[in-house]
Amino acid sequence: MNRCLAGLAAIAVVLLSGGAQAQKIQIGCTPTSDCVSAMAAIDEGIFKKHGLDAEMVLIGINSNIPAAILSNSIQIGGPTSTVFLQAVDGGLDLVAIAGASKMSPTSNAAISAFVRKGVTINEPKDFVGKKVGAPGLGAFLHVLFVKWLVEKGVDPKSVNFVEVTFPTMTDIIKSGGVDVVLTSEPTVTRMLDAGLGTVATRYAADLGRTEPIIFYAASRDWAEKNPEIIKKFRLAIAEGAAVVNADREKASVSISKFAKQPIELVRATTPNQSDPVLKSEQLAWWIDIMSSQKMLQSKLDLDKLILK
Amino acid sequence: MMPERAKALALPIALLLVAEIWTRALHVQSDSLAPPSAVAAALIEALSDGSMLVATRDTLASAFAGLLASSAIGLALGITLGMFQIIDRLMEVTIETIRPIPSIALLPIALIALGFGYRMEIAIVTFACVWPILILSRAAVRGIEPRLLEVSRALRLSLGDQVRKIIIPASLPRIFVAFRLSAGIALIVAVSVEIAINPIGLGAAIMTAQQALRPDLMLAYLLWIGVIGYALNRGLVIAQQRLFGRAALVGEAS
Repeated sequence: MNRCLAGLAAIAVVLLSGGAQAQKIQIGCTPTSDCVSAMAAIDEGIFKKHGLDAEMVLIGINSNIPAAILSNSIQIGGPTSTVFLQAVDGGLDLVAIAGASKMSPTSNAAISAFVRKGVTINEPKDFVGKKVGAPGLGAFLHVLFVKWLVEKGVDPKSVNFVEVTFPTMTDIIKSGGVDVVLTSEPTVTRMLDAGLGTVATRYAADLGRTEPIIFYAASRDWAEKNPEIIKKFRLAIAEGAAVVNADREKASVSISKFAKQPIELVRATTPNQSDPVLKSEQLAWWIDIMSSQKMLQSKLDLDKLILK
Repeated sequence: MMPERAKALALPIALLLVAEIWTRALHVQSDSLAPPSAVAAALIEALSDGSMLVATRDTLASAFAGLLASSAIGLALGITLGMFQIIDRLMEVTIETIRPIPSIALLPIALIALGFGYRMEIAIVTFACVWPILILSRAAVRGIEPRLLEVSRALRLSLGDQVRKIIIPASLPRIFVAFRLSAGIALIVAVSVEIAINPIGLGAAIMTAQQALRPDLMLAYLLWIGVIGYALNRGLVIAQQRLFGRAALVGEAS
């Protein structure tokens, strides 16, 4: 009898401790400042406070995030708006669950078309026939630049776009491999300091938009099965965003730790503004410009893109 | 007189010195190049903080697991196809259709099916390494002295005994060459998978260092991969000579 009672007590202890255990989630992001709200929520113990055992997974290329979510290697990822919409357009059943970063006057001012020494660009039509390096064709900076060209009356087809990754931009501009690169900080300042050329245009500042750059997304199936985790995640992200928007040093430390980047390099760049709120009209703008650039084949249902 | 090995080192050391002087004298500012002394310092730093050893463990675990799996599959198929020409003819179109597919091209499917981590990397390494082992072991079985097979038939050995007592021992030196060839491929494919997609191991560490604008660390990882590749090949060459003696030369000639 005593053995039975002891056994039952042991089972009860195991069940109770299991119930109290934090729910585990893995959040996959690229080594940029966009997911800093999640990084800080881990470092500041905010996820833990909400009963979530969250872990950040470093993903080198943003376009791998949708596949990583579907394989359940990560439950939540931070795709760019363009990667997310193209993935959904391609048939992957993903859903946005919270905002991460959005365009702001600060982040827009950092985005530039940098022209190498020896090439002159005085007005938008001077880009015609130039070789322009973008960090990814169809990626955030490329789509914005094409939108800017169209607004300025330049046919994007007259510009020769090639892919140049961020870490190789300085060397490729120096060697004359491309005439222009679409880039952001800290690369712009580094290239200006090295005397490699000039800023041709701060095209994102010209556009002056406030739509999301990156947001948190999950598979619809997982999100619908785990409403409690989603609720806790959203609360933690809102708190994390408030922390990083108010305290740049905390944000820099978290980014440096996650992206394994030297703290001086991170401090030199203003992190993108964190905004946990995500509205369907913000995605409508992206859908409009991506459709006009023929990047989307189907008509996406705005009501289904963001989890209620 | 200078020993032969010291002479062999003279050229690489001279090149390193030139690179050091060139990068220092011209104040080369690059996100892809770094002076050899900075690379050496980054190598020591990454080795002493343990990050490079953890990455090495992840890469080698995937490479060796893939190599073992491909050896088992490749040997079984290679011996079967080498022994039974009718199966070989029947399988020819299938094998020759699948074999040319670049293993890296399977990454998007492998990521969705298997997710990040060891499983995906092992699957891709296995796919890449199975072909040289299959082709070379099939050729090795076909190249066995016919009289040996006649003896096995005269002795009325069962199929299992034929494989165990005649075929494998007679073709082992050549099979080991296939294994050595595949070991090199396994390391290359494992690092490539990590560079392209998998956030573990030496390849992912190269990408992280590059994105952190640390060319010294990136080049240190490249150098370390070279050292591992060299050590792996040397180890297998020594094993081959110790295990097979003069018979190892048969494999080298093929």
